[in-house]
Amino acid sequence: MTPTPAPLRVAILSFAHVHAASYVALLRDRPDVELLTADPDAATAPAGELRGAGFAAAHGVAYVDTYAEALAWRPDAVIVCSENSRHRDVVLAAAAAGAHVLCEKPLATRVEDAEEMVEACDAAGVRLMTAYPVRFSPEFGTLRALVASGALGTVLGGTGTNNGKVPAGRAWFTDPELAGGGALADHVVHLADLLDALLGEEPVAVRAVSNRVLHGDDPQVRAETGALVSLTYAGGAEVVVDCSWSVPDGAPTWGGLTLQVVGTGGTVEIDPFAAHVGGLVAQGTRQAWLGFGENLDALMLEHFLGSVRTGETPAPDGQVGLRTLRVVAAAQRSAAEGGAVVRLGA
Amino acid sequence: MSAPPAPALTVGLVGAGGIARAHAPAWRALGAGLVVHSAVGAAELAAAHGGRVAAGLDELLDVADVVDVVTPTPVHLEVASAALAAGRHVLCEKPLGRTSRDAVAMLDAARAADRQLYPGHVVRFFPEYALMREAVRAGKIGRPAVLRFARGGMFPSWSPWFADDAQSGGVVLDLMIHDLDVARWVAGEITSVHATRRSLEDRGVPHTLAHAVLTHAGGAITHVRGLWGAPHTTFRTSFHVAGDAGTLRFDSADASGVRTDLPPVPAGGQDRPAAAAGESPYLTEIREVARAFVASPTALAPGDPHHPRVSAVDGVIAVEIAEAALASVASGEPVAMDTAARARALADLETTGSRA
Repeated sequence: MTPTPAPLRVAILSFAHVHAASYVALLRDRPDVELLTADPDAATAPAGELRGAGFAAAHGVAYVDTYAEALAWRPDAVIVCSENSRHRDVVLAAAAAGAHVLCEKPLATRVEDAEEMVEACDAAGVRLMTAYPVRFSPEFGTLRALVASGALGTVLGGTGTNNGKVPAGRAWFTDPELAGGGALADHVVHLADLLDALLGEEPVAVRAVSNRVLHGDDPQVRAETGALVSLTYAGGAEVVVDCSWSVPDGAPTWGGLTLQVVGTGGTVEIDPFAAHVGGLVAQGTRQAWLGFGENLDALMLEHFLGSVRTGETPAPDGQVGLRTLRVVAAAQRSAAEGGAVVRLGA
Repeated sequence: MSAPPAPALTVGLVGAGGIARAHAPAWRALGAGLVVHSAVGAAELAAAHGGRVAAGLDELLDVADVVDVVTPTPVHLEVASAALAAGRHVLCEKPLGRTSRDAVAMLDAARAADRQLYPGHVVRFFPEYALMREAVRAGKIGRPAVLRFARGGMFPSWSPWFADDAQSGGVVLDLMIHDLDVARWVAGEITSVHATRRSLEDRGVPHTLAHAVLTHAGGAITHVRGLWGAPHTTFRTSFHVAGDAGTLRFDSADASGVRTDLPPVPAGGQDRPAAAAGESPYLTEIREVARAFVASPTALAPGDPHHPRVSAVDGVIAVEIAEAALASVASGEPVAMDTAARARALADLETTGSRA
């Protein structure tokens, strides 16, 4: 029993990530949540990106200038939306202030940072959750149930795709320093998380090849835009992931994620972003894409707030954020070494 | 469709299994006479397609103008070499050989005999793959960057030799070789191969899933996935080809012009996809090969306008890529290749006949 007449205090720390707008919209009008925001690194963003107080005003949400002020408000929980390489400092500060943390993915840009974040949250007794919204898709729930029930038999492996447009609107996504890399850092983690949940084991061998053919002439895009990652899981499952930013700019939607799992019982394939109304709009010159799938951010926030209220460990937690970051780091190392196989957990 | 090649050929079909049942009607549709030799099933196949049975390979070679080798893989070299030595042009089902050594030996035999030899890489004749390749070559997607190919169906338990790696090379050499060949055809020469495979038996039923990742000399990377799966598995192929100016995709599961909602088919699934529409790709393939056969009594230069879209050298290199993938499966490490150099070396042999 946790009778909490007072609403939860939630602080959104930074507007660097594009999801910040989604989180503000979902939390702003809830009677059980008080929302405060801060975006002190706004000045480091390129001109033309709406950040800081201007963003807060545009979205009608309370704003303070520094993380210290936001944490001095004693939030129950924070949502960290800073640039990937800046997650660490914000999460450590939040943990020190006793706030539970939902951190955008990838958890960090370096494995050591993620380890430190997990330890700090454990030491402070606060929950750390990694923002992997696809985990909450009903389609993944179905796949997971089919694997758990034994309907798929022994899993032989599978193929995952997480393709998107090259990130636009926030320049840091294509800055290898701030983002922690390119397509490998951006898009491997979601599938690595789903596979972690599905198989309950980690890869023992990771191999990646990458290129920069897509957007190769764009000076803003300095990291890999195309990559294929081969993962051998501890139990023998063989998976290949295409994490490329290969969706053309003119496509009617941002991209998507698919996961096909093959077992001795058959094959199941999920496409959690498939639900949409299609057609042609703009005098018939543009494809329409009116998506009507579940709002995965809403389901994820509900789970996070629930864990804050009950004190239960959220899932996906910081540990899986760390494990999936290890997969990314291994893939990046493999690609940098020209496709050498990186063996883990030896 | 177009007129049958003249003068009418008599084709000697060696083998009477699944692929023979796809080739026989194509030859007949082109007006060719049919003679069949096979350890099993020759009479049934001949009867079904208005052919006759040869008592042995020698008798078949006596009466056939050209030979179509549709035996199990390990016998390809022996049969094709005999046919070539007898002065017959040969269409040989893929893979050309169980090993690259066999495939090269077959190429050598064709050169020594100065006869035509083509591998049955039929996927190059499927309209969806041919159109995609033509569009990529025309620059419609810009520079190819990341390609994915998938192909799979039930484990081929209808004939026991498929399950024996030593004979068939498994899913990599028997099935994925189609897409390994197409990947090179579309995105160019290959510099490295990494492959993984998982095989296991479940209640006596074998299953194999394999992946290959190719690096192309032009910078593109390709994923090829092959599945010999559960007995109910519907045969399905797909590709997704992304370049810096666009993407092309196809999935046989979405491509049918006919949708049915009928009672379940009996257990056993399908061994081949139905054609998306129009004529059988096997007919397209055999028409192109037959046209080459009738154009010249001897070998055709690669640039000859009558040369089919696939060459014996392509067939050898496809085996070499599959063999590299199998080596990678065995070692767990990527395998470096230089198919450009191999293509040059094998083509030189072709024009000089130095190995003859």
